[in-house]
Amino acid sequence: MEEQLWQLSNPLLGVFFIILTFVLFYVVSYISNRQSKTVQDLYVAGAGVGPITNGLAMASTYMSLATFLGVTALILRLQVPFILVWIQMVLAIPLITIIYGVCLRRMGAFSPTHFIRDRYGKTASIIAALWMILVCLMYALGQMIGIAVTFETLLGIPYMTGLIVGGLIIVGYVTIGGMSGATNNAAIQMVIIALMFIVPLGAIMKAMGSTGWFFPPLFYADMVPAMLEAFPSFFDYQFSVKWYFALIPAFTIGALGLPHLAMRIYTASSLKSARSAMIWFAFIIGLVFSATYTMGFAGVYFEQSTGIMIADADTDKLTIILNMVYNPEWVTALVIAGAISAGLSTISGNLLAIGALISQDIVTTLKPDLSSKMKVRLGYFSIFLGGIASIILAINPPGFLVVSILWAFGLAGVTNAPLIIMGVWWKEANRFGAIAASLIGGIVYVIISPFVFPSIVIGGHALTDGMGISGSMFAVPLSFILLIAISYITNRIPSLNDTGIRDEVNKLVERIHGWSLVNPNRYNNNIGAFIALAACFIVMIWALVPWDF
Amino acid sequence: MNAHKKEVLFTILMTLAFLLTAHTGLLFSLFPVEGYMFGFPIMYIVPILLGWFGILFLTIISGVIGNRIDEAIEKENQEELSKHNNEGAV
Repeated sequence: MEEQLWQLSNPLLGVFFIILTFVLFYVVSYISNRQSKTVQDLYVAGAGVGPITNGLAMASTYMSLATFLGVTALILRLQVPFILVWIQMVLAIPLITIIYGVCLRRMGAFSPTHFIRDRYGKTASIIAALWMILVCLMYALGQMIGIAVTFETLLGIPYMTGLIVGGLIIVGYVTIGGMSGATNNAAIQMVIIALMFIVPLGAIMKAMGSTGWFFPPLFYADMVPAMLEAFPSFFDYQFSVKWYFALIPAFTIGALGLPHLAMRIYTASSLKSARSAMIWFAFIIGLVFSATYTMGFAGVYFEQSTGIMIADADTDKLTIILNMVYNPEWVTALVIAGAISAGLSTISGNLLAIGALISQDIVTTLKPDLSSKMKVRLGYFSIFLGGIASIILAINPPGFLVVSILWAFGLAGVTNAPLIIMGVWWKEANRFGAIAASLIGGIVYVIISPFVFPSIVIGGHALTDGMGISGSMFAVPLSFILLIAISYITNRIPSLNDTGIRDEVNKLVERIHGWSLVNPNRYNNNIGAFIALAACFIVMIWALVPWDF
Repeated sequence: MNAHKKEVLFTILMTLAFLLTAHTGLLFSLFPVEGYMFGFPIMYIVPILLGWFGILFLTIISGVIGNRIDEAIEKENQEELSKHNNEGAV
């Protein structure tokens, strides 16, 4: 088979559009963040972001470079099962909002671990913060590498040059912009992503002969008969019920633990505004996600109808390749700029989360007497440090990177989500349970991943284990079990039961739900906790039953 | 029903509704169906449509109910506070 080299013949065109977008982002960052004087300004934009800007920024932060590069490649490899994986990703912001987002917004938290510190104490918050830094670094690292690879393969810029120059420019704009700049930029980036993805896709569909080219996300039914003829198994579900069930602990609960998503809700100007932002998020993410499925469909259709097979190493470039084949070069250059924008919005969200985790959740926890000015300086330094760390790690990237971002969802679901969910809804959850859940659950999840000990895995299917689907199905319920059981037991051991701490916890839980007085009957339902415990136990055992692929 | 119970019930039911709507793939893997809708296989297009418009609808519903529950909590909280203050005064 002939190997094709997919690269712009005039890379300067791509470089021109990318420079143009970077200039725009720097200007927006500078203008947005001139008023940042407190940590509240730096991390939650003074909690004054309106619903449309916030909804767009939520969608943009969530929609990483993977929308342009990774997702379509995985649809090409897995077809419909991966589309079903991606559909449920839409749940992230709605579930965070209704389960704990508005409560933590009411509390005035900067990050989820800020709540964990007030709820469970310093030790639990530092453990959770360290896990979260790892999750954010993996996420940011994936974007950095993706951007450098895009520069290298599509524009011909050497990987190291692209990584260091591009990386430093990105870190610079996030650092000077703070949350306010990142939010305004993310909203602009969302518009760029949607336009640069959907409009060229319409042109691709028209060139392929589809009559529904004017609305690519849904109007491609006329291509279905040809697809069924060329590739009859495209619409097959392929995997068992267990595989589809495992998506809940892996990605749905996993997304609940992602700090950079939760932080978007804390920027809302009010609780009503946070709920309205969730509606805008669902609309825009549904639009672009649906277009992503169309792009994956078009990629498979292209392979089957033309006989040109995209090499495994090039599957990540599917979106760009289709544009190169069917659209003029300047359109492809705009799509590349759109892909870079998608990476930027996610990196900025992650670097801000890393900044908040290091400066607020670790250093300020250990040294609470720092002045406000010092905290802000430390915040800027931490954001910069996180960016530099992700550039350095990207110099020699780990081989498992394509799926590692999805694996990081599970890590967040194991180490962070149970602490927040139970902490918000069950007063009995205590620091012993939280520490055990985050520490033991996290270590078990790492051990059963194929990246550390390849022989110790639960599923036995490379992609399922690599994406953390099988590991999460075991480790997420384990984490909930540890939290509930250890909290319940230790609360009944008098020497471990500090009534002063419990009184403070009770007040906090009531306050974040909007109550001024403590009522022992509220958020104290042990029956609910035991039902959750039993359900988690069943799921954990089910995860150990041999998987059928 | 008091505001606390409404809040707990709302969170559980809305979470279940969101899960069922976005995980239609799981339901179809349990109960497969054949046939076409809008020119696509049902088991393909229904999860996509529900994953967009179904979730959008639920976010609108949960926004409206969530705001109402906030108001109910605020009202009940004020009543609790005034009752508490009156008891304190006696």
